[in-house]
Amino acid sequence: MSQHVPQYVNHRFSSLDINRLGLWLFLVSDASFFIALLSSRFFVVGTSTPEHVDQVLGLGLTILLLLSSLSAFKAEAAFEHGDIAGAKRMLLATIGMGILFVFGVGYEWHEAFKHFPPSTAFGTVLFTLTGVHVTHVLTGVLTLGFVFFRIRNTTEIGDNQFAVEGAVKWWHFVDVAWVFIYPTLYLLK
Amino acid sequence: MHKTLQETLKTGWIVIGALAVMTIAEFLVAIAIDDKTLLFALLLVTALVKAWLIIQYFMHFGQLWGHISELWDGIISDDPEADGEED
Repeated sequence: MSQHVPQYVNHRFSSLDINRLGLWLFLVSDASFFIALLSSRFFVVGTSTPEHVDQVLGLGLTILLLLSSLSAFKAEAAFEHGDIAGAKRMLLATIGMGILFVFGVGYEWHEAFKHFPPSTAFGTVLFTLTGVHVTHVLTGVLTLGFVFFRIRNTTEIGDNQFAVEGAVKWWHFVDVAWVFIYPTLYLLK
Repeated sequence: MHKTLQETLKTGWIVIGALAVMTIAEFLVAIAIDDKTLLFALLLVTALVKAWLIIQYFMHFGQLWGHISELWDGIISDDPEADGEED
């Protein structure tokens, strides 16, 4: 029986390179989804924002997410430099802030139902955008939790580098999406 | 050249400081400015700069070009000996 044997295997592509490139391609495709949703705000309600939109809550949520991005960054940096305990602490801090953010959006929805329910034009935009975003936050929290669980007993980097890096990159992507959602929903007039 | 952990964390603090300042600025600008077009333009520019800071410094976007050039080099290379060197 004949078997195809490749003449040579190209060893220039490390799995880390491939993983990073693949993740970036996925993030770009997901960003296009957010761009479409953000543009729908302008088609549906223009730039007007109802007066009952809680700008202070929006600012608070933004600061919380930015701080979680810093802790995620510190987790990745600590892990890359071999400070596994520091990385675990920062991962837990990021997860905690992510959960707080979800509760903050829950409170926002509770208030939004009173003033602009999903049946209204602005309500449709707000619930869709924040709903899709908070789903990304939840998957980020789950991924960070999985990574924490994976490295909980390790004392060295081993083969976990991309696990930490990929989860943290995903978290930063969620933050980038919010950087555009926040002014679109809360600050425009 | 690889940065030490302290140098890397310092970069993180500088970036988060810049992001915090811009976030507060856009909040205040939205309160102060009534011109819709001007407000839209200012908020868009601020959001783009904030996104760039996160993508460049937190997500290490610059790293991507290194991977792309390595992949490209590998794709166009027809020298099996060279490919085996790094192994």
